Amino acid sequence: MSHMKELTKGLFKENPTFIIMLGMCPTLGVSTQVSNAIGMGLSVIFVLTCSNVFISLCRRIIPDAVRIPCYIVIIASFVTIVEMVLHAYVPAIYEALGVYLPLIVVNCIILGRAEAFAGKNGVLDSALDGIGMGIGFTMSLSLIALIREVIGSGTITLFPIGSFSGVITLPVISDSPVRVLTLAAGALLLMGYLKAFFQWKTARGKEVKA
Amino acid sequence: MTKYLRTGLILFAICAVCTALCALVNEVTAPAIAVNVESERLDALDAVSHGYEIGEQMEGSGNISYVIPLYENGSVAGYIAQMLTSGYGGEMTVIASYSTDGTVLEAQMMANSETPGLGKKAEEDWYMDMFRGHGAETPIPLSKSELSSEDAAAVSGASITFGGVSSAIHEGSEYVKSLGGSL
Repeated sequence: MSHMKELTKGLFKENPTFIIMLGMCPTLGVSTQVSNAIGMGLSVIFVLTCSNVFISLCRRIIPDAVRIPCYIVIIASFVTIVEMVLHAYVPAIYEALGVYLPLIVVNCIILGRAEAFAGKNGVLDSALDGIGMGIGFTMSLSLIALIREVIGSGTITLFPIGSFSGVITLPVISDSPVRVLTLAAGALLLMGYLKAFFQWKTARGKEVKA
Repeated sequence: MTKYLRTGLILFAICAVCTALCALVNEVTAPAIAVNVESERLDALDAVSHGYEIGEQMEGSGNISYVIPLYENGSVAGYIAQMLTSGYGGEMTVIASYSTDGTVLEAQMMANSETPGLGKKAEEDWYMDMFRGHGAETPIPLSKSELSSEDAAAVSGASITFGGVSSAIHEGSEYVKSLGGSL
């Protein structure tokens, strides 16, 4: 049961974006298109899970004095691996993520989970924590990207499959989109509203329980 | 002393394992990355060729990696040049086509690490409108003060990128002029 808790806590209760407020830079930067959000989210799930497992495995041999450099080396290696794989097999996502991809190295979620969880817990729990937090981050990022893209551009950009170009154009909204949502200011505004909504939901849940 | 040595050795071992992992993945992905990079380059050459026939690649000089003559009815109508320059995020590659008198026909930003929303704007098509048609009779704008107020506002916040792109395109134009339409 406790294993299940480690997996699900990152989805809502300890959601890294809306509750813990970690990884704001890529959240605001990449959430312009749904496809970018999914690509970034999957990359973070991979890096977070692998680094959590690796760090948890090495937690007894990593000296306390050099734990942060060790974590950074491990995280940077997995980010480099993701970068090479995306560049080789999904170049469109690699191009779209641009500088945010190498910046996963300094994404607070990854180092935060390494320091707060993987460095102190077993391999299975650390893996589940990484997957749960990664999925929570991906869901949040995709939600923000969906709202920004639909209202800001009147489109939903997914991945091209066969004859499907990957872009769904929404009638009416695409003729007069609210452009500010595609800009950084729009991202901050939306982030504020979503944070307020999650805060209200959390507070309401506590009141009901009480 | 033993404690420091042990700490150093552990750090070294972790670095060695991580390096080996990266090397292994690099070995597998390098051929596919090379194919992608070459395909991007060919697409870019096609996009800037301005409808002319693309000739054989020749070695450039200085920051100009290479030059490719463009033909129309068998005679040289212009050149494509690839330039290396630097922006805010480090090295950038710019590819541009010129007529034989150095006038910019088309230009495209290639590999770069510029900031999305700022320097990355140089990848968009409208950005190169600032340079198209310049280079012979009208000089290539090298600073924001030489741009219209609209263009200056558009590159605002990414002056270093603009400086890098404009100097590269200018260098290419001067090089093409020096070739004088000869191979």
